[in-house]
Amino acid sequence: MTTRRTFLKILSAGAVTAFAGLPSRRALADVAASSESEFFVFVHAAGGWDVTLWADPRNEARGIIHPASTENTDTSKVKRWVDAPLAEGTRTFELVRPAGSNLVFGPGIGDLAEMTDRITIVNGLAMNTVAHPDGATYSATGRHPEGGRVAASSIDTMLSNELGREQLLPTVSIRFPSSYVGDNLDRRVVPLAIDDVGSISRTLSRTALYDASGERDEVTALLSEEAADLAKRATYPGVLEGMGLQYGGLHRMLSSNLQDVFSAGGLRKAHPEFDYKSRFAGGPAVNAAFAVESMKRNLVRSVSFAVGGFDTHGNNYRTHAQLQQETFDLLASLVRSLDATPHPLKNGAKLSEHTHILVVSEFCRTPQINLNLGRDHYPNNSALVISPRFKTNVAFGRSDPEQLLPMKAKKFADGERAIAPPDLLATFLAAFGVSPRKYMRDGEVVSELLKT
Amino acid sequence: MTMRTLVVFTCAGVAACGGAPALLVAPIPAGTLQPTSIALEDTTPKEDLRMVPPEVTMRTYLHLFGALAPLDFQKDARGRDGSGLFDTWDDYVAALGFPDYRLDVPRQTQTNALMVATFERVGVALCDRALEHDWKGTEPRPVQERVIFAFDPPKGNVSEADFAPRFDVLHRTFLGYPASLAPAERTARFYALFETIAKGHTKADPKSRFMPDEAGWAAVCYGLTRHPEFHLY
Repeated sequence: MTTRRTFLKILSAGAVTAFAGLPSRRALADVAASSESEFFVFVHAAGGWDVTLWADPRNEARGIIHPASTENTDTSKVKRWVDAPLAEGTRTFELVRPAGSNLVFGPGIGDLAEMTDRITIVNGLAMNTVAHPDGATYSATGRHPEGGRVAASSIDTMLSNELGREQLLPTVSIRFPSSYVGDNLDRRVVPLAIDDVGSISRTLSRTALYDASGERDEVTALLSEEAADLAKRATYPGVLEGMGLQYGGLHRMLSSNLQDVFSAGGLRKAHPEFDYKSRFAGGPAVNAAFAVESMKRNLVRSVSFAVGGFDTHGNNYRTHAQLQQETFDLLASLVRSLDATPHPLKNGAKLSEHTHILVVSEFCRTPQINLNLGRDHYPNNSALVISPRFKTNVAFGRSDPEQLLPMKAKKFADGERAIAPPDLLATFLAAFGVSPRKYMRDGEVVSELLKT
Repeated sequence: MTMRTLVVFTCAGVAACGGAPALLVAPIPAGTLQPTSIALEDTTPKEDLRMVPPEVTMRTYLHLFGALAPLDFQKDARGRDGSGLFDTWDDYVAALGFPDYRLDVPRQTQTNALMVATFERVGVALCDRALEHDWKGTEPRPVQERVIFAFDPPKGNVSEADFAPRFDVLHRTFLGYPASLAPAERTARFYALFETIAKGHTKADPKSRFMPDEAGWAAVCYGLTRHPEFHLY
């Protein structure tokens, strides 16, 4: 029989365990104060990537694993593919071992292999799903959807709400699974969801053949008053007040002449360092240029975008390694571009010192090659972080050598288990002094990933 | 019982039924039901306003513009005059909050500043083209053939008394109810907007294709297509 004393002991032990993974409130406040001029880039490799070609490389037929080989992969465009024997005339790849690093990659890593001192790898992420919407939502929010409905805000919204409410465009989301769900959120940080960067320019362009910008401003001012008056009469004024703020934001957007800067052509011209002609990542390269330009002008807090085409169930798997290479080449170009760009607010600082990049996907692909010479969905995953606040040259977590399934990574508050997206997102929030519990139901801060 | 007795009884019964007076039931006045308690009806909304789904917003635009198919709307809104009033629907669908099933991007349920900018972009195109269609043809267009401005603009200076009934037409078109039921200051506020635009238009936009009063009515139309009540419910 449980006595009162035993019950209290269990209760207090539970409370200690629950908060063991969370940094103290004071420590978080100190970090938050120093994070108000940080920028964020979130990238979604849409479709589910093959982790055996980059972060969790496999070049042996072991257990159920069929490594990528010359039989199923077009190796001609993969710069870091070096043949290694596999079986019966087919060849797989040599592991990529960057000099001075303990990290080991597959050939899809591309130019990012030269930046091991700046990257953090998370392997063996337990996804518990093989459905695209579920995986995308879980990776971005740390919660599985509830009956198809997104149950929490995405990481870009959370960080903009904490650190970017005053920015002109707090959360720009280009085909990223961004969401705005929950209380304690400012309406200004509703993700600006767009299909492509050029649509910002087209949305903001105005003709002067009928009316003048000052006249449209008069209309906007009237609408702000209408929204404020309706809010005063409303039982729940939140949405109307939010719309009033957005009318104000529109005025600032239009008066900033953003339409001239944020056309696709203008960005290509301003940032020739990106490869806009690459086969798969040429389109997303414009998004990366937008990220640099908008951070340079201190207009955004976070830019999120997707690189598509990773869902390779059939013969299109032949170019999966090339797609990965182009994606990671794009990220390497982004980092180099940030290195060359001064921070808009901090004298003498480079933008790269205050920009934090998280790259995720829905899940990984099966270790077996299917009958169509492709790979299907698999509930394991890897993620990439490029952030000065994270320990670099580190791979955290692991997967089973024969099954490619997530393995126990460490002892969490709820016992030994694999790391999962909520843990990674909670760690990302904590790196900037944001209490994960304010936004997330699950997840524990993995202090092993953080510098301090 | 013999057959004879049965017949006698049957005949007697039939005779008795036929001869009896009709049974009358006297009406009783129905009493009023007494209330056991009185509670005021709670008509307050039980949840916050929601954004009109983007599909509905777009359907409304198409309907207002003359029940056209999306591509016909696009063709008319773009025109052939190089005005740059409108691009293509593809340029706006994501900003208007449509879902993208290719990428499993869900439908947006909250307005944002860029969406508000898109409402302006599309609303301006709708109103400017509608004003051209209704009022600026080579021949005067009958009122019943007009799509938005289903009234004749007053001649000369427009007083608030001239403005109010015409504003009511637009208010009913876009917001679905008479302006007299809206908050009291709305008509006066829109009249002030009309006056400001009409008086300053020649100076603000000397190359405009609109006369000052036309610009004033177009601005009123912009305000209503972008109004919070148009986009929230």
